[in-house]
Amino acid sequence: MSILFLTTPEFWFDQIVNGLTTGSIYALVALGYTMVYGVLQLINFAHGEVFMIGAFAGYGVLLALGGQDISGVMIVVALVLALIAAGLASGATAIAIERLAYRPLRNAPRLAPLISAIGVSVFLSHLVDDGFLNGETKHYDQIFPAGKLSLGALNVSYLQLFLMGASLAMMAVLYWIIQRTKLGRSIRAVAESRDNAALMGVDVNRAIVATFALGAIMAGFAGVLYGLFFSSIRGSMGFIPGIKAFTAAVLGGIGSIPGAVVGGYFLGLAETVGRELLNEIPGVNLPNEWKDVVAFALLVLVLIFRPTGIFTQQEGKRA
Amino acid sequence: MRSLRASWGRVQEQTWERIPSRLRPIVWFLIAFSVVFINRFDDTWMRMFFLVGLYATLGMGLNVVVGMAGLLDLGFVAFFATGAYTVAIFGSPVSPHDAHLNYWVLVPLAIGLGALIGVLLGLPVLPLRGDYLAIVTLGFGEIIRILALNMNDYTRGSSGLFEIRKPDLGFMVIEDVRAFYVMILVAALAVWFVTSRIRDSRVGRAWEAIREDEDVAAAMGINTTRYKLMAFATGAAVGAIGGAIYAPFIDFVAPQSFSLQVSINVLAIVIIGGMGNTTGVIAGSLILIGVPELLQFQETADFLQKFAWLRDVLNPVIHGFNTVTFLNLPDLPQPEDWGKKLALYRFVVFGLLMVIVMVLRPMGIFPSKRRELEFENPPEAELAASQGVG
Repeated sequence: MSILFLTTPEFWFDQIVNGLTTGSIYALVALGYTMVYGVLQLINFAHGEVFMIGAFAGYGVLLALGGQDISGVMIVVALVLALIAAGLASGATAIAIERLAYRPLRNAPRLAPLISAIGVSVFLSHLVDDGFLNGETKHYDQIFPAGKLSLGALNVSYLQLFLMGASLAMMAVLYWIIQRTKLGRSIRAVAESRDNAALMGVDVNRAIVATFALGAIMAGFAGVLYGLFFSSIRGSMGFIPGIKAFTAAVLGGIGSIPGAVVGGYFLGLAETVGRELLNEIPGVNLPNEWKDVVAFALLVLVLIFRPTGIFTQQEGKRA
Repeated sequence: MRSLRASWGRVQEQTWERIPSRLRPIVWFLIAFSVVFINRFDDTWMRMFFLVGLYATLGMGLNVVVGMAGLLDLGFVAFFATGAYTVAIFGSPVSPHDAHLNYWVLVPLAIGLGALIGVLLGLPVLPLRGDYLAIVTLGFGEIIRILALNMNDYTRGSSGLFEIRKPDLGFMVIEDVRAFYVMILVAALAVWFVTSRIRDSRVGRAWEAIREDEDVAAAMGINTTRYKLMAFATGAAVGAIGGAIYAPFIDFVAPQSFSLQVSINVLAIVIIGGMGNTTGVIAGSLILIGVPELLQFQETADFLQKFAWLRDVLNPVIHGFNTVTFLNLPDLPQPEDWGKKLALYRFVVFGLLMVIVMVLRPMGIFPSKRRELEFENPPEAELAASQGVG
């Protein structure tokens, strides 16, 4: 542990907070990957773009409500409206994608839906970038109060607190829907066995659409949170968070909902705290740009040694 | 002599005669066209033909992976970059690690390194379900760009490497666009020959079996991991060849040339052209690479001037529409910009086409005969199972 004392405890606290903040965004996006994989065994490559659509829907709402000038209680109203708009836009996009690009291929050779998925991803990201924005980057209005909570020398900004709290609340609601409602039960049944679920009277198509929609709503929320935190958004913004969220889903064991959440936080921490810990080793210097490499290396390592995920007990469920 | 003639006959049988007879005149035309008219075109046109040839070559490489073995590789740019950087790092005076090696020594090195990276990347994921390969290659395609950007000691980061030594044939040095075009044509023919021979071999049949049903293939005694690795490494080697030819042609090797879009271009060519089929890949390259380049030519802009009157007709309509709907749609741009604007939307079209092709014509626009039959007549076993016999 002695290496830790080379830098101040505050530094490590900041790293942990940053890791948890980005981790909660990864976790929210990872839920969509893991749920769709659970019911269809399909990597939904367009999920990163669903996340992007949510970010833009939230951006549009904030802009329409006055952008930079939103203040007072209106901030809360604006944030709630932005989140609702993002959830609706992302959910509608995902339902349309499922209907047009995936459902016709449900019984096709397994390569077909994957290619269709990557086609949707390319189409959506370039439609926004080349079709609407001409390659421009848009910036979220910084409406969130700038202050921070201080505990002695340790600081957390309100924005980061909000991000962590809001994503936990959203995940709790999702967990409740999956575990306690009839809809959630039908989703779990279809994930277990599509044929058996159909025999038991579950409307399989409805459950699949609901899976896409729920995952997409989470991704849409994540898009708004991403915009509030990182500010710049563009058509191709979903690519890297998409790959990372998928990595998170694999880390936690793909198909498992709690696994995706744990995987998301783990990946967020690995990128920040993990990278800084590696930097403590003499001779190692990984600047911030290498965080993507860390995440990717982690994905490959997990796939080599524990393809069922690092936190799962049962063997051979997937992969 | 007889054996030579016999083997040539076999070559002809298994390559030339595989091209559907209705497409053969087009191939003849293209060969005649490329040889006879090579001096009729200016450098812009030759550059386009070179790019079409380059992407056709890359497409044939990816076709081995996606079309023949049924593995989805979304990071083909990684191998292209490996080839280009091998030639640039060891063959450019500005590089910190210039090895003063001849270009022709570097090409086999590039091919070897490409295949090696393919094996190293494939080794952890190929024993798993195919989906993981897709996401790992997607990530790796991006990682290689980040690595190239940050490993300044080798790649000089975004300043890039240039003054790359040109291929020297002894009697001439390849530096003209035309010479590079002939070079890529030769490379494309070589890749075509080799890949089509492998496809018809025991290895090719193993790939086909794996593509159709991995479990059954394994049950028949095929070492699936080994054959999948072989396909992946073959594709990677072809990607590296493309990179090794591209580097001296463009003479500027920098991370920004190796974005995700290269992978998407190559994948779109293979998917839209027709998986498993070389003619389809060439057609795909002509359409997907040739047309967007063509749209950006001065000739196209001059031609479009004839349609300037469309602006006078459509702009009032747009204005009227804007007043009614409170939208703010822009005016129609100047006709000379139409081609460039359209070329800008190429990836929107590619993405859409990939979905449409998968949903409506999953064997591609120009499918291989074998593949077409598979899609039209499902194997008997499956039929039996669906009828409840199996």
